[in-house]
Amino acid sequence: MTDHKPKIAFFQCHWCLYAPEDQEWVDRRLPDNIRLIKVPCTGRIDPLFVLNAVQGGAEGVVISGCLPEKCHYKEGNLAARRQLQEFSSFMDYIGYDEARLRFVWLDLQDRGRIQRELADFENQLQQLGSAEALAARQPLEEGGAHE
Amino acid sequence: MSELEQKIRSEAERLLKEGLVDVVIAFRKEDAPLRPQPAFFTHPEDLENLTYNGLCANNLANYLTRYPRETRIGMLVRGCENRSVNALIVEKQHSRENLYLIGIPCTGIIDWRKVIALTGEDILGYEDTDSTLIVRARHQTFRLPRQELLHPSCQRCVHPNPLSADILLGEALPEGDPTLIRARVESFEALSREERTAFFRQEAERCIRCYACREACPMCYCEECFVDHNTPRWTESGTTPAGTHAWHIIRAFHQTGRCTSCGACERACPMDIQMTYLTDKLGKDMWDYYQFAAGMDDKTQPPFAAFTMDDKKHFQAGGKLS
Repeated sequence: MTDHKPKIAFFQCHWCLYAPEDQEWVDRRLPDNIRLIKVPCTGRIDPLFVLNAVQGGAEGVVISGCLPEKCHYKEGNLAARRQLQEFSSFMDYIGYDEARLRFVWLDLQDRGRIQRELADFENQLQQLGSAEALAARQPLEEGGAHE
Repeated sequence: MSELEQKIRSEAERLLKEGLVDVVIAFRKEDAPLRPQPAFFTHPEDLENLTYNGLCANNLANYLTRYPRETRIGMLVRGCENRSVNALIVEKQHSRENLYLIGIPCTGIIDWRKVIALTGEDILGYEDTDSTLIVRARHQTFRLPRQELLHPSCQRCVHPNPLSADILLGEALPEGDPTLIRARVESFEALSREERTAFFRQEAERCIRCYACREACPMCYCEECFVDHNTPRWTESGTTPAGTHAWHIIRAFHQTGRCTSCGACERACPMDIQMTYLTDKLGKDMWDYYQFAAGMDDKTQPPFAAFTMDDKKHFQAGGKLS
């Protein structure tokens, strides 16, 4: 495949990486094509954030969070899962490929898994080619995300 | 005046005269032809303007959230309106004790645009009967078959009867065919990805962002809508493709498990944009994954509010729904 590096928006729950090395890698050594958006819990992720990432030029979106019972806020991830998974199938319904949205629910023993998942996802996006299904928007002003 | 209209009028009169309600929400005779308007009756003597026929297009449940919860409201409800009222009660927007629902089995709402396309705009009067709509235009009287004039959402209606009305005026109708609404979503799902995108873009990009769909929808009662918020601004507010896409996607998504498929959004749209295919898909998914249909009772929380630890068994790494 080409050496095109797809842009990825990576929403990370603050509590989901148990190994300090993983968190350190995500915080400091993330490749340039991956944009990190840290949230206190996956429950904070409004589907609108995901849509904004997509319209802002992200070719794929990764959401990492905790398994049930492991949520720091007890049930934020349960609420998030119902909403975000339905959102991903809704996006698929209007023609945006579901494969461009990936959920990574991490457990205690998943040391090093986030690196593998991101690499695998990047690979998958390269196979899919560039995303042009939805129109890109202008960078938002007034506190919105800038390019 | 039809018999049904007379029944509604006398029931509304009783409610107001006996002081059972503060206001009766119903329809009044129109100023423009074919467009009866929502009306708010507080005095029995105003009731002579009350009207009801198949052209009453608004979902009256929309006005429930404009009153404080203590206001005792008498409301005309058809099947879809009753379900919207139920969904609003679940969301604690009004209390059931302060509502008196005057139920009417609904034979479907006539799309006035379809009528005007056949008769022209010089309409002097009309009469809505069981099977035909008789329209008196300036040069001609039209007798139009009612079933063909119905709004698409009404042609697919599953529950035409009010489910929890305090009084039912008129004979209960047979239930609709639930496969029609699913068939439409499934036929859209069967299209290729490019066709689906093309259809979505063609519809969404005609949007002029007037938000009539939002204003007509009983479930869109937020004090501040996400599109009106400006610090930070979540979406483009203009009629650019990105802005209209975001509006149509997120507006529909906010209706997940709440939309009762009344079609008021489409009836309100001045650009004739189809949008029930979006909310119907979400409604179908809620039924398939959680066996939930919005507004069937006034107790059950919608799936996005009713998550439990039972979800755990479906909750796998990267796993799809259920």
